[in-house]
Amino acid sequence: MTRWGMVIDTKRCVGCYECVLACKAEHFLPPEIFWNRVLIGEKGKYPAVSKLIYSVRCNHCQEPKCVDVCPTGATQQREDGIVWVDENECVGCRYCMIACPYQARSFYEDGDSEYFPGQGLTEHEKIGKVLYPHEVGVVQKCVFCKERIDAGLEKGLTPGVDREASPACMISCPTKAIQFGDLDDPYSEINRLIKERKGDPFHPEFGTEPSIYYID
Amino acid sequence: MIQTRPYEFMVKYTPQRDWIEGHGVLVAFAIFFGGIAGGLYLVSLYFDSMWGMFIAWLLAMVTGMTDMAHLSKKQRFWRMLLKPKTSWISRGFIIIWMFLGAAAIQLALSQWAPGAAETAFKVIAGILAFGVAIYSGFVVGFVGAIKIWNSAIMPILFVIAGLAGGLAILLATTLGDAAQSQNVVNAMRAVLIGYAVFLAIYLWISTYESAAAKDSAMMILRGSIAPIFWIVVVLLGVVIPIILLFATSATAAFIISLVCVIIGGMALRYVILKAGVYSPLVPAE
Repeated sequence: MTRWGMVIDTKRCVGCYECVLACKAEHFLPPEIFWNRVLIGEKGKYPAVSKLIYSVRCNHCQEPKCVDVCPTGATQQREDGIVWVDENECVGCRYCMIACPYQARSFYEDGDSEYFPGQGLTEHEKIGKVLYPHEVGVVQKCVFCKERIDAGLEKGLTPGVDREASPACMISCPTKAIQFGDLDDPYSEINRLIKERKGDPFHPEFGTEPSIYYID
Repeated sequence: MIQTRPYEFMVKYTPQRDWIEGHGVLVAFAIFFGGIAGGLYLVSLYFDSMWGMFIAWLLAMVTGMTDMAHLSKKQRFWRMLLKPKTSWISRGFIIIWMFLGAAAIQLALSQWAPGAAETAFKVIAGILAFGVAIYSGFVVGFVGAIKIWNSAIMPILFVIAGLAGGLAILLATTLGDAAQSQNVVNAMRAVLIGYAVFLAIYLWISTYESAAAKDSAMMILRGSIAPIFWIVVVLLGVVIPIILLFATSATAAFIISLVCVIIGGMALRYVILKAGVYSPLVPAE
């Protein structure tokens, strides 16, 4: 079996937001919608202060609470572990948003929003409404670029290795802080990183078994 | 994702907003109506009040409508019947519809053809009414991400609050009958005391469960929600009705009590939803 996962090296991440932009461009996301984010902050008190930079997105948990709570079956999990939302089935109750401990979901509320309010849609936005239309009034989230993965696999490519078959955030990262691969393959690069660099997911105590690990 | 500054999102407890702000407040109403609909039907069965059962049926209808009003894709509401295996919203929605059907048949039988079938439907509708009262406790209690909700006491608390609200409405229907009113008042005294005890236990346990639950409990007891909690939920919803119901048998006191209980019950749901916070994304070491 395959279980797609990600390893994010917080030491390499420089907080350039390229992954956020690549995701937005790849999925033609409206202005207020983010499928991934770069969180930059700090913790501790002077003089023991540390700066934090985390690239965060849906963790594609192996035991996703969002799938359990969804009353319609709109939130689904594929055999390869990818959790996605069928926008045609979502009723917009937002139970999945409530149940996600990582607050990784977005609600698309305003279908008329523009990147440059009052100046009309850009060419990119116009194309997006045709090529990758998003339904208003439903929940959205990162899908690990499943379209790229599926198309790549059909061509015999390897996600995480071949650019064409890998998530947009990974291939756009200028410092290679984001690695993608198969968590079920003991010889995959991400498993090596998790093992050698002691990767940890966010909040393992919730029992969701996230597929994204952070190393530092 | 929650609209907040990244720094806060990472290292502070961030409140849930989807089920309390804007349209989300309808969830609080749905939980409230569900609780009192189920509670009212159960106490109406006990006191054999047809009016109570009929009002409970209407309130269950309002619960279903409020649930649907919260959806952004209302025309797809029927899809919520499809996942009872794992989703408490789906289970609750099915229970409401089944209750509406069973209670409607029971009411019709009670009115026009009382007998064994009526009794059978009273039992069925009574079980479903219990489901209507309790399911919202499970909807909220299942959310492990929000620690103050993720409590085994939540369903019990919601049922007791529902019974208190149900008795308050039943009291309104029996005001013309002194003997029946007194019976309802006696039950209400006991339920209100039980409600106060469970509310106290719930908050007390929450302060020990986890840092996030404690943060929420402190928000309720001493933070931004404290005025609503102490003045509306505790004073109006529990203390004043208990004092009045024990001190006097005047009709005016009954009316004040039942209004206070209903307002307090509504505020309880609001306070619990408002107090829900997520743990910081980045562990604090």
